[in-house]
Amino acid sequence: MEITRIQIILIMGLMAFAMRALPQLFFAGQKFPEAWDRWLRYVSYGLICSIISVTLFMSAARVETAAAPRRALALIVAIVIARKTKSAVTGMIAGALLVLILSWLMI
Amino acid sequence: MSFAARFSQGMKAAIPVWIAFVPSSIAWGIAAERHGLSLDEVILMSAWVYSGPAQFAVLAPLAENKSALQVLIAGFLMNLRFLPMSTALAPFFRGVRRLPLLMSSHVVSASSFIVPYLQFQKERGGVAADRQAAHGAGGYGNLAFFLGVGVTAFIVWVAGSGAGFGVALGFTSDFDEALRFILPGYFAGLLVVEMKGWAMPLICLGSLLGALPGALASPGWGWLVMAIVVATLVWGVEQWKLRASRSS
Repeated sequence: MEITRIQIILIMGLMAFAMRALPQLFFAGQKFPEAWDRWLRYVSYGLICSIISVTLFMSAARVETAAAPRRALALIVAIVIARKTKSAVTGMIAGALLVLILSWLMI
Repeated sequence: MSFAARFSQGMKAAIPVWIAFVPSSIAWGIAAERHGLSLDEVILMSAWVYSGPAQFAVLAPLAENKSALQVLIAGFLMNLRFLPMSTALAPFFRGVRRLPLLMSSHVVSASSFIVPYLQFQKERGGVAADRQAAHGAGGYGNLAFFLGVGVTAFIVWVAGSGAGFGVALGFTSDFDEALRFILPGYFAGLLVVEMKGWAMPLICLGSLLGALPGALASPGWGWLVMAIVVATLVWGVEQWKLRASRSS
């Protein structure tokens, strides 16, 4: 039996939904032991930083080496400004402007 | 704080996410159209799968009519990341009934995990000192904030995919760099504002650097494994230090 494209999309969505919903069924509102709670928190921070890194420096399973220096510089500037101003949006805007200017200057 | 007020608080926090989702969803819609997917399939995939990286990853094998198993495995590996994200959010939804939880979980994505998670962590730090905040940060309050981020970002993603199918890119390539920076820049800002102690900066730096070789080794989940390894190593060292200080 051949599976149609619509059926593949439906199964794929069902699998994604299972990944999202299962933890909510089993762990919603649960308080984990202190050590496990900390582990989960640390894994979350690790995941966030990995997402930042991959989103910023990679494209189609390759590191974008030409753009990496200006993006890294913009990330550092965004971090410093966000920390100083206590505002993530201000840091993000400063970093985005910097990376834009650097890309126009072809740095 | 009422459910609606908390929802709108989440919406405001999601504005940078919407800005970043517009070009990427339109780009996906255009790519899908070029790969021969119909408008129905584009909308269905964006709304039902709702996972940018997985949608891009399966586009070529889907268009080339590769085996269904191959497409499903690629999608499954890309979507494995939702498991730890959803697990980390789950403890904040105390007292929420199963049906709303199940329905809400559909909008778990990297953005709708990061923004609410960091907000809940910040509020958890303040809860002990402020009982009023404790009321606002209850299970349903947290769910409202999460939905404020998740549902609105979801709508932008699906609408953008549909628009991209028929419309040419609305942004010139001159602005690509800035648009691409918005999400990671915003996430880094949210994280660094809350940063304290020695463990968190170490995990962040380790994961930031380790994600690249991890993703090169395995684009689907190498970065995820690296994040778990780095976090577990730092957690292990901290556990060891805690035990040592207790026994001395």
